[in-house]
Amino acid sequence: MTSSTLQQSDEMKSGVRLRAFLLRQEVVLFLMMMIAIFILTLGSDKFLTLDNLLNQGRFLTEIALVALPMTFIIITGGIDLSVGSIMGLCAIVLGYMWNPTGPFQWPLELAVAFSLLVGVLCGLVNGLIIVRIGVPPLITTLATLALYRGLAEGISQARSVRNYPEYFYELGQGTLLGVPTQLWMVLVFVIITAIILSRTIFGRSLYAIGNNELGARFSGIPVGLYTIMIYAFSGLMSGIAAWVFVSRVTTTRSDMGTGLELDAIAAVVLGGTSIFGGSGSIVGTVIGLVLIQLLKNGLALSGVTTDGTIVVIGTVLILAILINNYIQRRASAVE
Amino acid sequence: MNRKLLVALLLGVVMVLSFSLALPVAAQDRWDGADDLPVNPLDCPMAEGEAMPEATEEAPMDMPAYDGGQPTNAPDLAGQPIVLVDVPKLVGIGYFAATTLGQAQAAEELGNVTVTTDAPTEANIDDQIAVIDNYITQGVNGILFAANDPVAIAPVLTRALESGIHVVGYDANSEPGAREWFVNQAEFNGIGKAMVDSMVAEIGADGSFAIVTSTFTTPNQARWIAEMQAYQEKCYPELTWLETVEAQEDNVLSFNQATTLINKYGEELDGIFGMTSVATPAAAEAVVQAGLCAVDAANAAAGSPEAAVAVVGLATPNAMKPYVTGDNAGCVKSVVLWNPVDLGYAAVYVMRAVVDGTLKPGDATVEAGRLGTLSVVNGSEVLLGPPFIYTKDNIDGFDF
Repeated sequence: MTSSTLQQSDEMKSGVRLRAFLLRQEVVLFLMMMIAIFILTLGSDKFLTLDNLLNQGRFLTEIALVALPMTFIIITGGIDLSVGSIMGLCAIVLGYMWNPTGPFQWPLELAVAFSLLVGVLCGLVNGLIIVRIGVPPLITTLATLALYRGLAEGISQARSVRNYPEYFYELGQGTLLGVPTQLWMVLVFVIITAIILSRTIFGRSLYAIGNNELGARFSGIPVGLYTIMIYAFSGLMSGIAAWVFVSRVTTTRSDMGTGLELDAIAAVVLGGTSIFGGSGSIVGTVIGLVLIQLLKNGLALSGVTTDGTIVVIGTVLILAILINNYIQRRASAVE
Repeated sequence: MNRKLLVALLLGVVMVLSFSLALPVAAQDRWDGADDLPVNPLDCPMAEGEAMPEATEEAPMDMPAYDGGQPTNAPDLAGQPIVLVDVPKLVGIGYFAATTLGQAQAAEELGNVTVTTDAPTEANIDDQIAVIDNYITQGVNGILFAANDPVAIAPVLTRALESGIHVVGYDANSEPGAREWFVNQAEFNGIGKAMVDSMVAEIGADGSFAIVTSTFTTPNQARWIAEMQAYQEKCYPELTWLETVEAQEDNVLSFNQATTLINKYGEELDGIFGMTSVATPAAAEAVVQAGLCAVDAANAAAGSPEAAVAVVGLATPNAMKPYVTGDNAGCVKSVVLWNPVDLGYAAVYVMRAVVDGTLKPGDATVEAGRLGTLSVVNGSEVLLGPPFIYTKDNIDGFDF
């Protein structure tokens, strides 16, 4: 008798575990993505082909690179609206420093490194204003969104820089082992950020900051330092996104990256990260990114025009968030 | 405290830096934006009594070699039905609605062409690339495009050519090697001349003017402004060029920028050029709301017509009718443009000719239905014709 109750409770336990797993936001979202893929495959026979899916990776890269640190930031209850402008500024700095007819004429590698440094600096300025002066992230980054874009336009003098050496295009247009080069980069960063967020004290502290900043402070978490670090990281990733983007489109323009912040935030929030902070995951963000990109691509291939596509994506965003909220509320009620 | 000071200092440095960077823009002497191509101003108007500038006829020059690209292994579809996709800079504005209309007219006349228009709702280079990429995957016979950036769009167009898809541009060019042909609506120097001559007709050869453009890097606008400047320096050196401001292709921003110009320069400002189909009506509206229409000013303070601000620009007729013949008739006297319906129409005919093999590299002319014979210029461009000036006498005959 004892053994049978034991077995029963074991079964119950695994049943509860399975249920809890199925109700996780990421899993719900993943199922939604599968449904979307199924429907989109019916729409066009060109959709579910390896070539097409890999090719979509190119379009997803810049948003993905920025969405990863954005996940960190939103988990702490913050937001970074300036990423698109930082990307524009870094792209311009890269081109300006390298430009063989410009004032500096640096080697390309040095120009890339310098533009990444500029990205980090932009992020640092964001972080410093937020932490040291205490301006809310929304206002700070809204201001620097304008400031960095203005700098980009000022430096570029409205001129674009073109004709990079052929090897430079390898990153944005080439392939490595049959996969678009930049996708490997995304993969590495996804793994790194996922490990940092879920397996390190730093990562777990971000959740603590998002849940209760004051509490985190009294628990001895260096809240200010961590906050500055994630905004600087966001700046760095925007710089890397600029590097990939310039390599992909073979030119620099000061309007590069406009609207990037909204695409990134949409993916993060669709991925189940709470905009109020305290919860979220990299896996969720990745699913959010892929789902949006597949919808854009699949709908276009099914013959839906671009204006129709954005209507559908907006609807899916709202639906996904509603369904997820409903399920999470039910789940927590059961517990 | 110390740290706050540091941050404040840092911000201050950034601001000073941005101002010092912003200043040279106003002092810049060339306005050719993204490229450093040479300018080629046309001849000045001949006699004094010539009110309306002559339509600019291009003298035939020795023809440069064909510099377009070619598709690889394109299927031979001569005379057979073809499916085209048209990717303008953006959808939802009157100008590209008019090119779409022209394409539909050509498709109907030809009978064996299907063309659909699809593009982002904002003039964004990356979105446009994604749209074209999707159509390559989907598989079409030909792509018509109007580039948001001549270089950024080149890799995806090259991919289209490599996939055996015919590529013809119109309105805004790409790098020549990334497409087969480009239908050029009007040569840049022709537009530059028509714009400046129309402005001088209103404000005199010693007036002051400002420009509202999209962005300094937008290829067409940048070239036009460069040609306008070259022509102005050559023919009307007494004209004063106050400022050029960016307003994207955004209605509200254009209105605000025009209003700012009016407030900033006051009586000094005699005229505003609108460089886009969005900026020109917005500038006209700003002038109306400031009470500075030529007609208002004459009524309010008879004898001081210099208080008025003239608006000359590129725009579609429907958007400008209120200021030319409608409620605020007389506020705007001349609107410079080509006919975008004809432009879209010609693009489809050129594409059909390419597919049928009747327009090959090295050819000097192409037949384009009701437009007759169009000539090839600059190696791989088909010229639509001289610019068209809409005035109160002819604007009501157009509906787009």
